[in-house]
Amino acid sequence: MEILIQLIFSGIALGMIYAVIAFGYQLTFATSGTLNFGQGEALMLGALVGLTCVEDLGINYWLMIPIVCIFGALQGSFVEAIGVRPAIKIKSEFGWIMSTIALGIIFKNVAENIWGRDDLRFPSPISEDPIPFLGANILPMEILVVAGAILMMVMVEWFNRKTIYGKAVVATSNDRDAASLMGINTGIVIMFSYGLSSLTAAFAGVLIAPLTLTGATMGASLGLKAFAVAIIGGLSSGFGIIIGGLILGITETTTGFYISTGYKDVPGLLLLLLVLALKPSGLFGKTAIKKV
Amino acid sequence: MKINKLLPMLLAVVALLCFPLVLSNPYYIHLASTILIYIILLFGLDIVVGYTGQVSLGHAGLFGVGSYTAGVLFFHLDVPFYLTLPAEIIVTAIFGGLLALPALKVIGPYLAMVTLAFGTILQILINEMSFLTEGPLGIKLTKPMVFGHEASEKEFFWIAAIAMLFALVVVHRILKSQLGRAFEALRDSPVACDCMGVSVYRYKVYAFVISAGFAGFAGALYSYSEKYISPNTYNNELTVLFLLGIIMGGRKSRLGAILGATIIVLLPKLLDDIGLFRIVSITLATLVALGSILAVTKGITTLKKVSIPVAGTIALALFSLWLDNITDWRLSIFGVMILLVVYYLQDGIVGFFRSFYSSLFTKKVDVFTESIITNENFDNIINDANTKDRGQNILTIESILMQFGGLKALNLVDITIKRGSIHGLIGPNGSGKSTMMNVLTGIYIPTAGDVKFENQSVVGKTSSEIALSGIARTFQNVQLFGEMTALENILVGLHHTFESNLVDVALHLPRFTKEEKNARQRALGLLKFVGLESLANEEARNLPYGKQRMLEIARALALDPNLLLLDEPAAGLTAPDIKELLVVIRKIRDHGITIILIEHHMDVVMSVSDQISVLDFGEKIAEGVASEIQSNPKVIEAYLGGSAA
Repeated sequence: MEILIQLIFSGIALGMIYAVIAFGYQLTFATSGTLNFGQGEALMLGALVGLTCVEDLGINYWLMIPIVCIFGALQGSFVEAIGVRPAIKIKSEFGWIMSTIALGIIFKNVAENIWGRDDLRFPSPISEDPIPFLGANILPMEILVVAGAILMMVMVEWFNRKTIYGKAVVATSNDRDAASLMGINTGIVIMFSYGLSSLTAAFAGVLIAPLTLTGATMGASLGLKAFAVAIIGGLSSGFGIIIGGLILGITETTTGFYISTGYKDVPGLLLLLLVLALKPSGLFGKTAIKKV
Repeated sequence: MKINKLLPMLLAVVALLCFPLVLSNPYYIHLASTILIYIILLFGLDIVVGYTGQVSLGHAGLFGVGSYTAGVLFFHLDVPFYLTLPAEIIVTAIFGGLLALPALKVIGPYLAMVTLAFGTILQILINEMSFLTEGPLGIKLTKPMVFGHEASEKEFFWIAAIAMLFALVVVHRILKSQLGRAFEALRDSPVACDCMGVSVYRYKVYAFVISAGFAGFAGALYSYSEKYISPNTYNNELTVLFLLGIIMGGRKSRLGAILGATIIVLLPKLLDDIGLFRIVSITLATLVALGSILAVTKGITTLKKVSIPVAGTIALALFSLWLDNITDWRLSIFGVMILLVVYYLQDGIVGFFRSFYSSLFTKKVDVFTESIITNENFDNIINDANTKDRGQNILTIESILMQFGGLKALNLVDITIKRGSIHGLIGPNGSGKSTMMNVLTGIYIPTAGDVKFENQSVVGKTSSEIALSGIARTFQNVQLFGEMTALENILVGLHHTFESNLVDVALHLPRFTKEEKNARQRALGLLKFVGLESLANEEARNLPYGKQRMLEIARALALDPNLLLLDEPAAGLTAPDIKELLVVIRKIRDHGITIILIEHHMDVVMSVSDQISVLDFGEKIAEGVASEIQSNPKVIEAYLGGSAA
């Protein structure tokens, strides 16, 4: 029983990370109808840049976070400028899918060449002594992950709802052409959403890094599973991705423990296939009416 | 086939088979065999990517399934080579079908992610199911046995060459048949495809299954060729490499697949040699820079447009000089190549040369010789509808309610349509006319109410089932299969006349050749019926707007409908075009086909309709013959507002 509770807690922490990355998918999908297939690589780069700041430059973990966030925003804008904008211009879906995949591959390869192929340990910013709770041991870092993830999403939501720039984002996601006619520079809004999306991913990277190992290959499976979360929850539901993240995180940690760590990714991906086969708009998403 | 086309092909085959005799180094022969195997896979991948227009990131997984089926059968059961081949194709095709099932409702990025997830699951399974696959240790095989001894590198090359030629013929025939046309049609316009009786879902699954079969075939040959398989081979990078091959070589082209496979096999070898890479990248940068300077000075393009590729290639050249080891940067170079191909070489190498070639020479117009229709008699071209019960009800719409959230787009509408009549359906914008069309053709499922066509309910049936039961339609915003020719568009409509299966198609059995010949003749006849026979080989997207509308009508007639729904056929037409349209509509009615006509041109509706129903805000406000409608105060109010005095 203690083990199960412990698995659930680490599942929650993992699930919140998935939710944050999935949140990033939602941001770009809302404004431009496109997704960054290299979202996992944005997370990986964030974690590795963070590691360099902490280890080599001796910057304090908390001071490093804003640096990583700025880096993430720049990286996301770069992806948008190189990979997405030309594709939107020529209305090629194939184009942005392939180019964001290509950029993901390039980022991963560059990271391998800079930081090496081995996984690296990320020093924990806070105490690593577990806190006993309901008979289980919880790492303080896990609590920090959950709090950080929620804070990130609340801040972005606040920005979208309360600021004039956020309203431009919301307007663009409702109707890009109409927003553009109202004088909103939708190109900048889309670029901004990519920046914000990679920012959240990079932030998620430095949150999760102390709990796992960091390395060039950490992004791929995280990105894919976060997509599963975005689909399960629905690409338009903020509440859905948190539920989806928790479902996936907990099934993953329990599968890893009770069956085999080799199989831990399988249930989430099967769930993705199942949801897409039965309800493609996600468990909490709204179905759009197709017009002919 | 004509001799001048056959000869170069024959020469190419002979050259291919003689290759190992000329170049006897086993390393090169092995490399060539690998190219042949990748060609087979790319043929299959092209069906999904090029023809149906879906992005598959799961083909490395399918390739792995083929490899491992061969490996497992060999390792555990010692099954001989010639028996494993069909097994691999079938097993992988089944996996392809499994992959396609969640593709039921998803498109574009969703499908790409689904295939990525599927490929990842396959890779995990191969890695973890050690009892079957030996896990990370991998499986060792031997080359297949031929004439009592293990095949040499040279003999295996011939096996692979024969396999590739076989795959080439089969894939080419599939893509030139009704199957290939269905694949292309569902990419260009899924809605129209369904409404032509070609189920988008079913053909998407077919495409994946056939494509997976080729992937399995290639995978099996690969495991025999390498003599050792391990899970790490079948990763996502391989998938991306396959996609790079297809888009770089050129989609929808066998030659493109051959070029693409050659590039993706040889490229990594090229990248092993830093000296060679430096020469190539510097040459490339020089060529691109010179070409751009030439293009800008001649005013073909602007400085801004060429700045990115020029900067990119120069950066690549500088990068190559700075590097001392290229192997580590291989994936980045693949990535850069994908970016360049996606934006600057969209149609691949083959597409580039094709457009280059056609801009040099004016397009040759194929003269049709197969036409046998000489007179203006279309009796065997348009099948007469059942006219026995003329005047009886063919379609009854009973209290249809169509609700979108709180909006009632159709509110308890009743309409009956008489067999053999032209029934006009009019109403101001947003009155629910097009919604009605979509309900009748199964695109929307009504919230309540029933639609009976020839005494059978169509509610709940899929669009393609409804189409096959005899309701054909055109679309308000033209939905042609743009990249297909006018003739091919009609042939998709004639899809229902084909009964031949994959084997008939692959082997060109008499059943298929006969059906294809008949269909082509009828298609040509239908084009003549709407006056488009001279444009048979023109791509539909290049036709003028009025002709596109006519082509849509001809395509709908190919379904042999009893009921034809025309959704604003006169919209955007010029006055002479409208005259022509009226003639065609009357001719169709003369063949006993019932017509529902939605139209805003009142003169058109009033002149041809036997009966007219008027919709306003989702409700039927009037019904009757033209003169009654014209004097009906409610109708006048709906159109002009205010109350009719």
